[in-house]
Amino acid sequence: MTITSNRHAAYSMENVIDKKTRRSYKRQRFSAGWSLFYKNMVGKIGLYLLILFGAMALASYIPPLVDPMYHPMTGVDPLISYASPPSWRHWLGTDNIGRDIFSQLLTGARVAFLVGVSAAFISIVLGTLIGMIAGYGGRIADSLLMRFADMIMVMPSLLVILLLSVLFGQLSIWIIVILIALFRWPAVARVIRSQTLTLKKRPFVDMARVAGASHIRIIFRHILPNVLPMALLYMTFRVTSAIIVEAALAFLGFGDPNTVSWGMMLQWVWKTGHMFQAPYWLLPPGICISLITLSFYMMGRAMEEVLDPRLRKIQKADYAAS
Amino acid sequence: MKVFFLFSDFYRKTIAASFLLALCFVLASCSNGEKDGAILRIGMIEEPRTLNIWLASDANSRKVISLIYQPLYTYDPDTLDLAPWLAQSMPEYDPETISYTVQLRPAKWSDGTEVTAHDVVFTVDLIKDFQVPRYYSQWQFVKKTVAIDEKTVRFYLAEPRAIFLTRTLVNYIVPKSQWAPIAEKAKTMANPLIALMNARVEKPLGSGPYVLAQWREGAFLHLVKNDHFFGSGIEISNRKLGPHADAILFKIYGTADVGVLALKKDTIDFFWWSIQPGYIEDLEKDENTKVYLSDRSALYYMGFNVRKPPFSDPAFRRAANTVIDKNFIIERVLQGYAARMDSIVPSENLFWYEEHLPRYGQGLSRDDRIKKAHRLLSENGYTWETAPVNRSGEVVTPSRILLPDGRPMDDFTILTPPADYDPARATCGVIIQEWLKDLGIPASARPMSFGALLQRIKDRHDFDTFILGYGQLALDPDYLRSFFHSANNRPGGWNMSGYSNPEFDRLADESVQAMDPRIRQELIRKMQQVVMEDVPYIPLYNPAAIEAVGEKRFTGWEQMIDGIGNIWSICRVKSTEADM
Repeated sequence: MTITSNRHAAYSMENVIDKKTRRSYKRQRFSAGWSLFYKNMVGKIGLYLLILFGAMALASYIPPLVDPMYHPMTGVDPLISYASPPSWRHWLGTDNIGRDIFSQLLTGARVAFLVGVSAAFISIVLGTLIGMIAGYGGRIADSLLMRFADMIMVMPSLLVILLLSVLFGQLSIWIIVILIALFRWPAVARVIRSQTLTLKKRPFVDMARVAGASHIRIIFRHILPNVLPMALLYMTFRVTSAIIVEAALAFLGFGDPNTVSWGMMLQWVWKTGHMFQAPYWLLPPGICISLITLSFYMMGRAMEEVLDPRLRKIQKADYAAS
Repeated sequence: MKVFFLFSDFYRKTIAASFLLALCFVLASCSNGEKDGAILRIGMIEEPRTLNIWLASDANSRKVISLIYQPLYTYDPDTLDLAPWLAQSMPEYDPETISYTVQLRPAKWSDGTEVTAHDVVFTVDLIKDFQVPRYYSQWQFVKKTVAIDEKTVRFYLAEPRAIFLTRTLVNYIVPKSQWAPIAEKAKTMANPLIALMNARVEKPLGSGPYVLAQWREGAFLHLVKNDHFFGSGIEISNRKLGPHADAILFKIYGTADVGVLALKKDTIDFFWWSIQPGYIEDLEKDENTKVYLSDRSALYYMGFNVRKPPFSDPAFRRAANTVIDKNFIIERVLQGYAARMDSIVPSENLFWYEEHLPRYGQGLSRDDRIKKAHRLLSENGYTWETAPVNRSGEVVTPSRILLPDGRPMDDFTILTPPADYDPARATCGVIIQEWLKDLGIPASARPMSFGALLQRIKDRHDFDTFILGYGQLALDPDYLRSFFHSANNRPGGWNMSGYSNPEFDRLADESVQAMDPRIRQELIRKMQQVVMEDVPYIPLYNPAAIEAVGEKRFTGWEQMIDGIGNIWSICRVKSTEADM
């Protein structure tokens, strides 16, 4: 009895150590990656911008609490009923019905995150799953799934979404998110599939198979962790495209009328005839759309460098030379 | 060296030649510029769909058509009474035979042939034979049209009709010589009406001030002065007619932005489109442009589908009307460039407008409106778990409203045109949704493309509520009957709400036959009272027409109801360069 319990203890001890080393290894890898990322100027700027927009999104809850007139959608200044330039009362001025542009801009950040991150997340989940299944399954599954991906990939997504909204009337913001996600997974699936193809020939997968692991276990336990960084990298690029598609839709008048997004703000300034009269209304949402997409793109570029050592070569050669 | 000289000589010649050529171009463009002085350049937001008068229903086609085809009578810009146009004088009425006799002016078609009574007879018969949708309802009670002589025509009516003068006689007359062969051919087809409406008329023959010279699709329309125009040099309604411009060039701009920019850059002389108030300040600053604000005969309103509960309950509709702050919509959404509407007939239409109507919610604060609407609803059996007004009389956020049968009200939509088409109506939808939520009424605004919207509302009756508008209401309020008579409550009919009230039907039927304007006025005013008591439509606003012109090259625009884009303006604007 005692022997077995001792053996148990020893085993669990080993397990703990193993877990600890594994965790410390992970931490090490992360901090190595992080320092690489942080050394990268592009990544750093992207990160700071993103933090700024995050802060804006969080701050969007504050103005309506200060005064109901700062509610981005329904609050109007009782004294101002026209587009007014920036003032102490309204830092970025008001729109034509007297709503505060600054609080709209803050809410726009929240909507951009919501649309960007959720659409990107859904498309990444879809893309990764389909990519892994196609790559691992091979043959018919591979051909079928990849041809399907090709079909979706060549569809002009903005046009199709525009058509759908014309057919079914205005789409809600969540439907728009799902539609964007449904059109944006194939590129991810292709990359993940190619990764899976190289991974499945690796010895550790063979060993898992020999040890009797099921296909599902191999896919999720052994392949997924190895393709995950790539998937996350692609997620940053998907966020960019999702935000741009939503902004374009809203600008063209097919956005969700109950949501204050930056594209919607641009549409209001355009359609009410203030395009050339109210730069304080036109510029902020335009600049914000550019900057938030830029920040995600920059982060993506820096992450790419962390994940793909080949991109780092030149820098290393520089070090060697010096 | 010699070679070099030869070469340089060659060069010199080439340079001289190209210089001459360039000079020629400059001179040519200058002379073009001088010629341009007589061309009136008009900007349009969209290209006309067709110049077939029977098919044309969009505003831009009608604008071009109004310069080519002419009616017997038109509206006087000052009094808005009938003014003889193709006709020589006012019609003579014979009560015994119920007939009107009209004498035509000496007038010619653009090919030089006379406009005769036979053309008028042909036009009326064609509309009745083919039952042309846009015109048939205005002519169907005309039993017979007879040409007494070349220039005299008599209309025999089946029964006295008040709208004959105000609505029927202002319709266009078409030339028999051009349309008779087309009509003959169309009659042999399986569907004559479709064939007639789809007939392509390359060069419409007209009697108006201008005729079509060229239509380059997707680019421009070029109209030239009609030398045979009957109005040239004569005086009608105290106005001496031209036209003074040699030609009109219609340029097409996809959006209002570009049109306004073209106006500022002096690329066009007039942008024939009502623009958003946002542009006014900028255009007024520019010394070369001038903004005209004109009253309109228009109705923008929120309609209910009274075929289904709870919208079938007048009390519910009255409460909704109470909670809507029309002044807010006018002051903010329309920037003050609109008039408040409390009846279906615009208040500017003094003769027909009824003043003594219920003013739901007017002059009340937001809290008072909610309290009044709450009272109205609770008196009629509506309840809440948390009412919009609590026991101590304060306005609070309510729970969802419970209908008189105790069920919570289902979510419903307010259909509006998209912001792209009309930002004001789309914004109204969202704002009204918030006001209704103050009463626990679960509304959500849903903009949809205009075609689909109209189909759902007018043809399929598949809707809850909507916001729509009539941009050009006739001056004669016969539309009241079209909108609310129960006979028009059918798919495709104008009674889109499905309103049905026997008393209203009786008043409407009487009003059609009342030939005495005073009696008809009284009936029309009573009809307004009935409708506004039941509010199947909540009238919201009547926007002003905001139009802009460039003053550099042309002056003398005629302002009347619906703006300066009218036949009087086109016949009277003068080039400023011609004066110099």
